[in-house]
Amino acid sequence: MIESGPSVEIINVRKVYPSGDEQRAVLDGASATIRAGERVAILGPSGSGKSTLLNLLSGIDEPDSGTIEINGLDLRSLSENQRTLFRRNQIGFVFQSFNLLPALTVLENLLLPLELIGKTGNEANERARFLLEMVELSKRADSFPDRLSGGEQQRIAIARAVVHEPSLLLADEPTGNLDEDTSHRLMERLEDLLTSGKTTLVVVTHSRDLADRMDRALALDHGGLVEY
Amino acid sequence: MRLLNKASVRYLKQHRLQSVLSLLGVALGVAVVLSIDLAIQSARIGFQVSAETVAGLATHAIQSDRGSIDEDFFTRLKLDLNITEAAPVVEGLVTSTSLPGRTLKILGLDPFSEGPFRPYTSGNSPSLDVNQFITTQGGVILTEELASEGGLTTGDSIVIFSSGVRWALPIVGLFQSEDRLTRSGLSDVLVMDISGAQEVFGMVGTLTRIDLRILDSERSYERTIGEITDNLPSGLRLENVGTRSETMAGMIRAFDVNLTALSLLAIVFGMFLIYNSMTFSVVSRRTSFGRLRALGVTRNEILRLILREAFWVGTVGTVIGLALGVFLAQGLIGLITQTINDLYFALSVREISIDTVSLLKALTMGIGATVISSLPPALEAAGSTPRAASTRSIIESKTRRVIPMLAWSGLALCLLGWLVLLLPTRSLSVSFISLFAIITGMAAITPLGTVVLIEFVQPILSSFFGTLGSMAARGIRTTLSRTAPAIAALVIAVSVTVGLGIMINSFRGTLINWLDGTLQADIYVSLPGPQASRASGTLSDSLIKDFVSADGVVGYSTYRAVDVIRAEDTYRLVALELDQRGEGAFDFQSGDSDAIIRDFQLGRGAIVSEPYAYQRQLDVGDSISLAGEKSARSLPILGVFYDYGSEQGTIIVSRDVYNTAYNDDGVTSLGLFLGDSSQSDGVVQDLLDNVPVGREVTVRSNATLRSASLEVFDRTFKVTGVLRLLTFIVAFVGVLSALTALQMERTHELGLLRASGLTPAQLWRLVVGQSGLMGLIAGVLAIPVGILLSIVMINVINKRSFGWSIQMQIDPEVIIQGIALAFFAALLAGIYPAFRMANTSPSVALRRIGE
Ligand SMILES: Nc1ncnc2c1ncn2[C@@H]1O[C@H](COP(=O)(O)OP(=O)(O)OP(=O)(O)O)[C@@H](O)[C@H]1O
Ligand SMILES: [Mg+2]
Repeated sequence: MIESGPSVEIINVRKVYPSGDEQRAVLDGASATIRAGERVAILGPSGSGKSTLLNLLSGIDEPDSGTIEINGLDLRSLSENQRTLFRRNQIGFVFQSFNLLPALTVLENLLLPLELIGKTGNEANERARFLLEMVELSKRADSFPDRLSGGEQQRIAIARAVVHEPSLLLADEPTGNLDEDTSHRLMERLEDLLTSGKTTLVVVTHSRDLADRMDRALALDHGGLVEY
Repeated sequence: MRLLNKASVRYLKQHRLQSVLSLLGVALGVAVVLSIDLAIQSARIGFQVSAETVAGLATHAIQSDRGSIDEDFFTRLKLDLNITEAAPVVEGLVTSTSLPGRTLKILGLDPFSEGPFRPYTSGNSPSLDVNQFITTQGGVILTEELASEGGLTTGDSIVIFSSGVRWALPIVGLFQSEDRLTRSGLSDVLVMDISGAQEVFGMVGTLTRIDLRILDSERSYERTIGEITDNLPSGLRLENVGTRSETMAGMIRAFDVNLTALSLLAIVFGMFLIYNSMTFSVVSRRTSFGRLRALGVTRNEILRLILREAFWVGTVGTVIGLALGVFLAQGLIGLITQTINDLYFALSVREISIDTVSLLKALTMGIGATVISSLPPALEAAGSTPRAASTRSIIESKTRRVIPMLAWSGLALCLLGWLVLLLPTRSLSVSFISLFAIITGMAAITPLGTVVLIEFVQPILSSFFGTLGSMAARGIRTTLSRTAPAIAALVIAVSVTVGLGIMINSFRGTLINWLDGTLQADIYVSLPGPQASRASGTLSDSLIKDFVSADGVVGYSTYRAVDVIRAEDTYRLVALELDQRGEGAFDFQSGDSDAIIRDFQLGRGAIVSEPYAYQRQLDVGDSISLAGEKSARSLPILGVFYDYGSEQGTIIVSRDVYNTAYNDDGVTSLGLFLGDSSQSDGVVQDLLDNVPVGREVTVRSNATLRSASLEVFDRTFKVTGVLRLLTFIVAFVGVLSALTALQMERTHELGLLRASGLTPAQLWRLVVGQSGLMGLIAGVLAIPVGILLSIVMINVINKRSFGWSIQMQIDPEVIIQGIALAFFAALLAGIYPAFRMANTSPSVALRRIGE
């Protein structure tokens, strides 16, 4: 599986949040290297900073110190605008709280990332429908997200994260709301999809089962990243 | 971005009520500004067209204060000075029974001199049969429109009253001018042969003015002007026609500026409203914007998205506003011309002229205001990081930190505005800018006021209504980022209403006091006419003799008013023969009244009204001049008296002094003193019974005249009242939309409350109670602000506009009205959301995921 140079480089990252009157470091001296095409699970108890780490990797948030390089690019060297464009093109994100857009239908939610990178029309439509099929929600294409169950919303969030073939997929507990069977089927199809596109996958999970499917697992421990 | 636009549209559709309210806010703001602009423009254009049509191609005119020039001078001008292009004019105002309520102007002309001046009356005009015009005694020509309005046609007679005397004038022809402008310029004019007009106005042998055509392109220009000036008899002036009509048009400048400023207030409120509703619509989509940012939508794209939305709301709202404005202007033009007629000069404008400049101005203003007021929320939404954008607590804590700073800068702005008011300038625009600065400053202080008040009422509410009461209060404080702007908007709207209310009441109160002091006679006799306060025509000698010697009359004062219009100045000149019983009529700014009146009666000087002195920066001891046919003289000012009758200002001299300068024994009105005041109604009836047939005269008791004067006052403030109402409606819509949005946004939170056991009735009470509380807070905060505004309006704006001193008078009624207004407006705004919320099942409310 390990083919080329590093896709994600985390060097001595520190992230501090205000907690009451003091500052609390959620990440402190976290370092890790993830190669392109590699699939990595991030483990750690609730509140240990997993979501925080993914936010940093996607450029949604910035570390207080340390360096994050994605595909060889130091995120700090990018302006806010460049970082946004970078995110739009390179990254897929399955948010822990789904983050679907309520004003768009399920299908439109999938079309949006495509439209952002300039893909519209039939091809985009087919791609979106293909992914809907993959997450078994073709029938709900024209529903609005608030009509879906939690698990259905999560599946749409997964489909949306990969629809524009990102080179880095960040997934925050993508199967947290799914039953074991569905979760299994979904991960299989997702892996197929990613292997063909050589996408790097970083997935936060509490599920041993899911972690075992990955190439490697890292754990967050007292603000640092350790091999699990 | 097709999908993003789609999401925008869906959002607006989903929040239909708020979108409609936003559109309405923009539309109303634009409509108010446009309608005032159009109405004033139309009045101006109407004035200009009629002035130009009547003056024709004249460049200069020889004028006198009294509009009375000896005919001989015209002959001398033609024969001795060899001025060929000169035309005599006799002009005056009359009323007609065929056209009730309108003032008509008789234009007496000499067809043989008209050639170079007024093409529509000259001998070679196809519509005019000169022979018939001259040979028919008293024959008049008018426009077809005017004739048909009175149900008249050629051959009929039009019945008019001039100085209360009835005349039936045969119609010898109708103007059929192709030119629409000429027709509208003549819309209230009766053209007559000059000798007929002289007869009608009782001025045989005299002219109102002499029109001249002296072109400055001619080499002889300077010489001709010099020659005429050198030969002018006493009391006559050579004036430039353009300058003169500008001076007249300038009379309504203050009126114009005040209305425009008031109408601008509507746009300011409109902007407040848009700012509010855009802020809401942005705030309630914060999470969505945060999600978009996380997906890779850039800041600029978000900014553009919001501004595009604002642009469309602005455009649609403005277009509706333009249509509404034109419609509204149609209604306002009547009120405005009425006021101009009452206060300034005869003007008849029936239709509004829609000029493209006004439309474009309103269009730019509407769209611009919308986009500008959505800029702050748009920038805020675009500027925050993807994570902060979706965290409400961050916004609220930021708001709380900003409040004291906001209050300080508001205070600074108020002080700055105040300082600017202290500048030794009389500029109205400067005054209004500082007024707006003070209003804005006050708005910035209200959030702090809100926090303080809530701190104060929360324990009270909690002890009366328990947890629910304290929750209502706390809810306002914890969502200040949205409640504060809504409350600020309400405060400003109500305070402006309160301020204007106090101003109008104070003005009215001052006027009543003044009338009580000024109207000392028991009975007043004057000529009828639609112009409330303008002088026209004189009472006949025999009538005066009869009246002053009537049973019960023990004394009288006579009053002769001349509205002097000079190219450089306009004012009212009054000759007063003052009965000893009426000597207490004047209230002087300073000095010993008795001494001033004694000197006045002895002819030692003149007294002038407060606006006269203020506008010309004169005081006791300075001098004024009289320039009559008999002599020109200057007189010292003995005293400055309070007067609210004319904003141009009044000079009063004793009749004896007047007669030394002017060759005029006319009397405009008469005041009669009775031995027994309680008999006045009976005496009025006796006098009226003795008026000869064919004559019209108005005889009124003290009380009737007093109430008639107040009626005129109320009429002139009608425009202000209408504007006050419109402005309030705009503000009300704003508050309605802000509070509605605020409550709708809490769906999720209220759903949680319902889920945890709040009954629908309790929820209803919570929402309506909270809205009402905000209204009450706004009402209470609005009172001091309103009083402050009225102080500025009364002491600075009014003084600079009109030169009047007004005693401030705060009616508890105005205050209570203000608080009630705020309270009920807010209550009303709470009802719909409360209804919606109470009838929504908690599961549905909870299901709506954060937008
Ligand atoms: N914006 C913020 N401000 C302050 N504290 C924060 C903020 N975001 C996260 N935290 C804190 O940082 C810690 C880590 O949060 P994070 O969301 O990364 O945890 P997590 O590992 O994803 O937990 P979970 O498994 O429950 O999702 C938590 O204690 C959280 O309270
Ligand atoms: Mg998490």
